[in-house]
Order: sequence, then structure tokens, then C-alpha cells
Amino acid sequence: MARISKEERKSTIISVALKLFSERGFYITTIPDIAEKVGMSVGNFYNYFTSKDILAKELVLFISEYLGKSIQKINEEDVSTEEKVYKIVTMYFDMADHKPEMIEYFLRVYLSNREVFGEDCKGMLCVSPFVTEMMIFFDDGVAKGELHNQDFFSAFGLFMGYLGGMVFLFGENILPEPLSEYKTSISQNIFNALKTRS
Amino acid sequence: MTTKQLVEQIEGEASVYFDTDDEKVVFSTIAFPHFRGMENILKGKNALDALVITPRVCGICGHAHLMACVRAIEDAYKNAGESVVLSKKAENIREFTVVMEIIQNHLKWIYFVLLPELYKRSDSKQTSYPLKGAFGASLATKAIALLGGQWPHSSYMVPGGITCDPTYIEILQAQGFLEELIAFFEKESLGVALDDFLAYETCKEFAQGDADIAKIEAYLLQLGMHEKGLAYDRFIVLGKHQFSRQSKIKQTRFFSVDSKYVSTVESFSPNEKTFARNALYKDEYYEVGSLSRMMSLQIPLIKNIHRRYKDSAYSRVMARVYEVAHLMKHVKELLSEVRIDENSFNKPAPIETLTASGVGIVEAPRGPLIHKIDIEKGMIKNYEIITPTQWNIGSSNKNKLTPVQKTMQGHSKTDALFIFRTFDVCSVCTTH
Amino acid sequence: MHSKQEAKPRLVWIQGVTCNANIHSFLNLPTLPSLLSKLNMLYHPSLECSHTLQEITQLEIACDVLIFEGTYDPLLKRNDVLIADVVKHFAQEAKYVVALGSCASFGGIFKASAPKRNSGLIFNEKESFGPLLESQKKVINLSGCPVHPEWLGYTLNMIINKKEILLDELHRPLELYSHLAHHGCTRNEYFEWKVDAKEFGLKEGCLFYEQGCRAPMTHASCNKILWNEVSSKTRAGTPCFGCTEPDFPRNNLFSTQTNMSIPQDVPLEIPKRAYLTMTGFAKTFSIKRLEGKLIDYKTTR
Repeated sequence: MARISKEERKSTIISVALKLFSERGFYITTIPDIAEKVGMSVGNFYNYFTSKDILAKELVLFISEYLGKSIQKINEEDVSTEEKVYKIVTMYFDMADHKPEMIEYFLRVYLSNREVFGEDCKGMLCVSPFVTEMMIFFDDGVAKGELHNQDFFSAFGLFMGYLGGMVFLFGENILPEPLSEYKTSISQNIFNALKTRS
Repeated sequence: MTTKQLVEQIEGEASVYFDTDDEKVVFSTIAFPHFRGMENILKGKNALDALVITPRVCGICGHAHLMACVRAIEDAYKNAGESVVLSKKAENIREFTVVMEIIQNHLKWIYFVLLPELYKRSDSKQTSYPLKGAFGASLATKAIALLGGQWPHSSYMVPGGITCDPTYIEILQAQGFLEELIAFFEKESLGVALDDFLAYETCKEFAQGDADIAKIEAYLLQLGMHEKGLAYDRFIVLGKHQFSRQSKIKQTRFFSVDSKYVSTVESFSPNEKTFARNALYKDEYYEVGSLSRMMSLQIPLIKNIHRRYKDSAYSRVMARVYEVAHLMKHVKELLSEVRIDENSFNKPAPIETLTASGVGIVEAPRGPLIHKIDIEKGMIKNYEIITPTQWNIGSSNKNKLTPVQKTMQGHSKTDALFIFRTFDVCSVCTTH
Repeated sequence: MHSKQEAKPRLVWIQGVTCNANIHSFLNLPTLPSLLSKLNMLYHPSLECSHTLQEITQLEIACDVLIFEGTYDPLLKRNDVLIADVVKHFAQEAKYVVALGSCASFGGIFKASAPKRNSGLIFNEKESFGPLLESQKKVINLSGCPVHPEWLGYTLNMIINKKEILLDELHRPLELYSHLAHHGCTRNEYFEWKVDAKEFGLKEGCLFYEQGCRAPMTHASCNKILWNEVSSKTRAGTPCFGCTEPDFPRNNLFSTQTNMSIPQDVPLEIPKRAYLTMTGFAKTFSIKRLEGKLIDYKTTR
């Protein structure tokens, strides 16, 4: 049997931790819980992450990088801004469908337990890859004349707040239809709200 | 017959056409042939961009254009009911740099134009040193740069104030350059202390020593310039400043002025296409510039000169020389009054919200400079510039001569060309 | 010591459509007298010279260095002679042609006087265009509105000393234009930590975010070789307008073009993604020293 590399082991821990934190909650989940689920000793676990808080921060970075990379791919495509909106919405909902723990973690752990993340995750420090890509997306859209030039946070809040809200409703099992059913209408709403005004 | 004379070294060139009879000028016309179209360039731009574009009308008095422009925009704010509050500090610093620009201009004129011309005209063995003027001017421009960032072509005045935020270091450095400049002017030009010079009461006192001023005066008298180059004996000062007084003067009688009576008419230039227009006040021609400004202050020495020699070429030249000293003293006081704890800038309403017209008037080195702006939602709909040389060096038909045409009449061509230069002509401004 | 007039480079200074500011800027040069003593000035519009405009427009003499100031307008005449002929004549024998100021280099302000025909000597903005394309190797562009006196001083002294002047792709001397106007700005720390100037009239804060400063995108040594030996636009709180670049004058010079609060143009050759990442990090920290006034004259007494 091939030896599992340190990197692979680290990514297993991340994926297990994400699941446990988002299912059980951040405070209830302990390091022994995670180590057990991964199948490693608690002592060995500390070789990877020296504390639960550091793990928590790494998880945010991991999600942010994942989102950032996915949006960067879309940003680099030669398609209209309207289509990019659709692709970002699709990517986000697919992630909520297939890797719900990522978004759950982000919404339920990161945003709800800011005291855990403290100075190390202040401002953009842990979410930079994701926010930067959204900046590139907005900047491109305005430069091409397809989006209305306005304050960044007004636009960012409209876009991401909307998606977060839908994923929350989905997670609460309130939505009558699967998330994917809403992709088209939500993309249209977002684009209509942000597009150039004549 | 009509002969053409190309005049150089007047911030560009002009063509002067003389009709002579028995070697005397009976009529002359003037053409400024170089078009630039600044007013068109400005149309459609953001109104604030005029603060960058209009100084580029002129390399020697761009700072005066900057001030006329910022005053025009501030006037538009006022006309729209929006207040623009200038701190005393911003006002003083603006005035300081504008005056320093006048000083550098006059020093260059004295050493680049006047002295070489006087020496040439009088077959003097004297060598002229134009670079003396450049040296003095560079001290003045250093002081401007300390506050305006650079000279030429600063854009540090903005509606609501100035962009700089000087500490005592900049103020002290500026004072240092000014003191050095005054010392240079006393030693090289005046031959006496500034205050002693300013205390002169009659033009007899100019003759002291062999400094440059004494030479200038002696050569002017030698050339008979105290009896030549008389215009209408009418003067006008339109810009509002601490160093002169807004007024209209006919001989020695004073009247109040309002810029709404200023108009321009097409030049009369049958021999060559010209791009200049003549400026008038209530349909009459007036002389503008140093002599007018010094007349407006009723200074004993200037009154004495005027009583003896009226508005002759002599008076015009000596008033400009005197003005340098007068301005040096003025700015020295101005700078010591600057309170650096005041705001440099009080933010006005965003320019995009402004739809209004405004007029900005300053006394530039050569006289009143007027900028008129029409703004629509922050953009320039129309821009008009009237420069001092348009007042002095207009070109009209025989029925109504402009000041310069009147001054040249009856003299030899050589004298006429010297008299032409006594106005300190700016070609580039005229054909903005 | 007296040197032979013949050995000195013969210089002719001709003007296109101009405001004369390059002359007045040059007159500020502290070493002007010694520099002029090393030149044989055949014609200059303001300085002492051996010929009149009428004489040189006979096009009978030649020069070693031609300085051309102002926008090139092929229809412009001086002393009734087409400037096109004057430029062609003197450029032919000259070893160097100095396009002085942004007008002569790229068209500048007065390109707009007649946009369809006016240009610089070998560039129309940044496109190759103009009367001296065939002899462009001898053309040195000294852009700037106006040119900095030391930049012309450097160029003439290099020519006098027979030293090679290395040029960038826009024919500007590398020693003068490889720096950005940003280099040496007293507001650099505010740029590094993304602290913007709250308004005009403050010595604190960076002018790049709101006030339109082009210094990080502008090739010029204004903050290295100071203006009038004492200051620069940014030091006096005025944004850099990018006057040494081919696209001068741009529009909306006192405000930064932003797309959803993100600067449209970022520092030269820095990828926007990298720039935004750095910005995000830097903005996270609030640094008290950079937030307040450096000196508060009102309360510090």
C-alpha cells in the first residue's frame, strides 16, 4: 500500500473537520473527535494543526481559496458578464449541493463565531482569495460597460448575501425545489440589479 | 507704404505693420499669427480639468491663469448658491505665489528684454547679463514651488483652497528664498535698500549710484522716452488683490469698475491673419498692467512720475521696475501672516452637482486676466479667456486706436518698436 | 577658460505650437550659465544667440543639436516659413534632435488644437508618426509638461560630453524615465498601507485612491530630482497628472477612475489580482500613526 503523504493526510483532516464542525457545531466538536474520525492519534493530529483555533482558521482559508480558484476560472473565460453571473451562481449552488459542509462552515462557524478567529482573520486576511476574485469580476464588468459603477460593498453584499440567504433556506429544508431549479431566476435577478443603467 | 516688422522675444512673436510718412509712423497694425484654440480644447471636459489645462496657456504667467480659473469655478459655485469658504491661509498663500510669479516675470523682462534693448539702442558699450534675470526669477519660482509643488505649470489651487499643507519649514524656506531675492534685487538692480527705494518721492532719486535702475532711467531719458509713447492716460485694474486697487483711472480721477462692462471685438489686421481680439471697457480702450496698478495705489513716487511724464514709455517702464520692489515688500508681510494651523482646504459640493456660470479675474503680470466658465453638471460647456495683452496690444482701425497703436504714432519705427516692448507683450497669452 | 566657439555644439531651438513653458522651466536650471557656456547658441527664442529668427528661417546654416519645443503642426509658419521645412532642414544635419516637452514628444496639450494633423516629432501619442520618422534614431524625447530643467540639462551635458544616452521604447532617456513619479514620494508609506488622503490640503494620505494621482503609472523622476530643487506636485498635495506619458492630458484629472470602488488602473505592470490581494491585506490593519495627523498644530501647543 502506498504511503499517504502529509498533504493528503492534511486534506483528509480538513474535510473531516469541516463535516464535524458544520454538523455538530464548533464548540462541541473536539480534537479527539476529529482524530478518531480520521483514524489517527490525537498526538499525531497536533503535528498537523497545533490548536483547534488554528485549524478553524485554516479551514476558512481553504474554503476561500477553493471559491477564489473557482471564480478565477470563470473570470478568465471569454464570456459576457451576464453569463459569468450565471456561472458563479451555478458554482456556488453546486458547492452547496455537493460539499454543503464548506458553505455551512463558512456561514455557521466563520461568520457566527468571530471571536474564534480574532486578529489573525481580521478583515480580508482569511477571505482574500475569494473577495479578490469578486473584485476582479466586478471591475471587469464595469470596465466592459456591462455593470453599473457603484460602491463595491453595495454590489458584493447584494450578490453574496443573496446566495448565502438561499443556501441558508436550502439548508433549513424550506425551499420547495432543489437549489439548481433557482439558478436561472436568481442569476437574472442579480444581473438585473447590477447591470448598467440607461 | 506699409512695412512689416517681426517682433521676437515677446513670449512668441508678433508682426507689426507700419504705415510711415517721412520716417514717422502714421498708422500701425499688429498680428498674432499663431493659433492654439485653448477655449475649444476645454469644452466638454470636467470643470476641474481646467485647473490643469488653462495654466498651459502660458509658460511665464500660467500661475495667474490657474488663479483666474479657480476664481471662475468658485464664482460659479457662489452663483449656484453653494458656499465656498476660503481660509485666510489659503487666500494668503494663493496671493503669495501669484505675486512671486509677477516678480519673476518682471525680472526676466528687465534683464532679457529691457536692458539689452536699451544698450543696443544707445550704442552703449555696456554688456547686458540676461541670466541675472533668470537667476532672480529662479529664486522667486523656488518659493512658489515650495507651496505649489513646481513652477511652471502648478495646479495646486482647487475650489475651496489649496492642495498643499505647509509646515513652518516650507514657510521659512520660502522666506529664505524671498530674502535672498530681495538682497539680490537690492545689490544688482536697485543699488539701495528696498525700503529706501520704496521711500523715494520723486524720480530725481532714481539717478543715485550706478546700479541697473539708475542705468535704465538714464537711458530712457537719453532716448527721450519720457516724452514718447503716450497712450490715452486711461488705466484700468480689474483683479481683486491686496497689492493693487480695482479701479478705472482717467488722468488722475478714479472710478469704480465692474467686469460686466468688459467686451472684446475683432482685431483690424488687413495684412495678416491674426488670432487676437481687442479688449475694451465700456467700449473704450484702456492701458493695463504695472503702471495702472501702481497708479491705482496713489503712491507718491508714481504720482510724481505721472505728473511729469504722464503715461509715457518712461512711466510704463519705471512703474514696472517700481512694482517689483512694491511686491517684494508686500509678499514679505503676507508670508509672515500665514497661520499654518488653519485649513488649507474646505471641501465644496461635488463638481458634478454644479450647473452655473462664473467669472474669475486676477491681475496677471501684464494686467487683468479674465476667465469665464459655463458649467453644466460639472462639465465645461463654454470657456472664455481675455488676457492683458488684448487690452494693451489691440489692433484697430484708424478711427479708434488701441493703446499701443496710439503710443507708436508719430515716432520713428525704431522708437515705435521700443515703445511696443515697454508694454511687456505676451504673444502666447494673446492667442490662447 | 575660453574654449573655441567652433568646438562647441551648435544649437538651434525652434518652437511649434507651444506655451513657452519649456523655456521658462529651463531658465530655472541652477547651472544654466555654465551649461550655456559650453554651447554655441545659434538661435533661441529668449536667450542670447547669434542669429535672428529671420536669419535662421533662411535655412542656410546647419546645427548639431536641434531642440524642438511644442506640438508639430505641419501648417504652422514662423516668419512666414513652414515649420515643416524648418524642422526638415535642421534635422538633416543635426546629430541629435531633442523633442522638448510632451507636445513635441507625443502631441501633448496642443495636439487638440488640430487633432487630425498635429503630433509629436516621431509619435502621435504612442503610435509611430510624425515628420522625423525616417531619422528617428537621432530623436530624443524629453516628455513632461513642461520638461524638468535638469532633464534637459542632463541631455545636453551628455551630448556635450559625447556620452551615449540610452533610450526607452518611446525614445526617452532611461536615466530620467525608468523611474516612476511615485519613487521618492513623501506619501509612499500611505500608499503601502492603503491610507487615502481624506481630502485636498493634507500632507497625510495617498492621492492614488481618490484624487487621481497617476504617479505609480507614470515614468518620470519628479520625486527623485525635485522641481525647482525643492518640491514636487505630490509633495504639495497635488496629484500627478501623468504629464510625461503619451496619453496626457487624460480626462477627469482630479479623480481616480474606479470600477465598483476598485481602481481601474493599478501600478505599472502589477497584475490586478496581486494588487487587490495586497490591498485587502494592507487595509485590514488600522495603523494609528497613519490614520491621524502627523502634526496637529491646533492641539499640540
